[in-house]
Amino acid sequence: MLPFSVTIRVGRSLHDQVVFAVTKAIITGQLQPGDAFPSVRSLSQELRINPNTAQKILATLTERRLLEARPGVGTTVAAWRPASTPGRRGVLADHVERLVVESKRLGIDLGDVLDAIRKEWK
Amino acid sequence: MEPALATRNLTCRYGRTEAVADLTLTVEAGTLFALLGPNGAGKTTTIRTVMNVLRPSSGRASVFGVESTRLGPSELQRIGYVSENQKLPAWMTVGELLAYCRPFYPSWDDALCRKLLTDFDLRTGDRIGRLSRGMRVKAALVSSLAYRPRLLVLDEPFSGLDPVVRDDLVRGVLELAGEERWTVLLSSHDLDEVERLVDVVGFIDAGRLVLGESFANLHARFRRVEVTAGDAHPATPAVVSADWIGMRQAGRVIQFVETRYVPRETVVRATEAFRANQVDVFPMTLREIFVAIVRDRREARP
Repeated sequence: MLPFSVTIRVGRSLHDQVVFAVTKAIITGQLQPGDAFPSVRSLSQELRINPNTAQKILATLTERRLLEARPGVGTTVAAWRPASTPGRRGVLADHVERLVVESKRLGIDLGDVLDAIRKEWK
Repeated sequence: MEPALATRNLTCRYGRTEAVADLTLTVEAGTLFALLGPNGAGKTTTIRTVMNVLRPSSGRASVFGVESTRLGPSELQRIGYVSENQKLPAWMTVGELLAYCRPFYPSWDDALCRKLLTDFDLRTGDRIGRLSRGMRVKAALVSSLAYRPRLLVLDEPFSGLDPVVRDDLVRGVLELAGEERWTVLLSSHDLDEVERLVDVVGFIDAGRLVLGESFANLHARFRRVEVTAGDAHPATPAVVSADWIGMRQAGRVIQFVETRYVPRETVVRATEAFRANQVDVFPMTLREIFVAIVRDRREARP
């Protein structure tokens, strides 16, 4: 069992799905600073995914400073800093673009989109 | 870095039938390579030749840099091979089978062997002849994993097995994950299972390699595109681009598979080509990509 919630669907990038799930778990407090994070091997085994993919997931999360590798201890959840780095803004811009395109396509105006975001924000 | 496994212009004939034709592929060390293809494509023949069960008619195959026809104990000790219809001695018990295999492998790991038996719910006292097919595959897998092979070759390991057994097998295989330079060559039709595991996809059809590329790449360049044309009765689309395959149409909806997806550009091109009101783009599963490629090749045949 893994210490965070994740549901994997085929057809989408495994890496992105797991990175998203871990990020969400950290934001919601399922994972807290200092918590031990699974190794490549147990991530691979639990999710039945390729160890190379598991390795990349850990690398991405470490690079985004959500996890930190501690020699002798293993990987732990880093102290979460909400400050927005340009890298994170870049990730967000991608999602925003998709949201805007989809909203326009469905004919939803900006006000309704913002309301939907506010509702989800809480 | 030497590849774990390679074939060069490998050809295998059964009488006049060319089961494998001029096949060249490389499985890099440290990757999980999935050999995919329709039934009769030559997957099993390829694997058997590499494992020196069959001799090539021409060309060559090698494992850890050693010619397949010269594989000896020092290579075989590092290779685990499980095939769909593996013959195991029916009169032996599971325990006897493992005790028989053990002395051949200096790297045999008793603790791993016990763990796999427990995980697989296998009892050492059970006679192999009385086991279900799923249990027999599990027994074969334990005997091939317990010595922590650096190369694992699995020919249709999941076929015809129930989901729980398949899940057990995948978990067992991943027991070795994290070993240094651990390599897997796998042929399978259970594409949802494979999608989670694969690094590189080798697609063969009629004994030839059609495509060999990382799944990440494949996943990035294949998209199902759905277009709603502006006209009520759009002209039946001719070949607009060689990169668009499996073109189909119903009413004003046109569907095809983009094989060279570029964000934005694909949508712009489809909008122009069909004077579209709407273009939707969907990522595809390995199963969907496989079906699209096989259909396209079938349609292209005279």
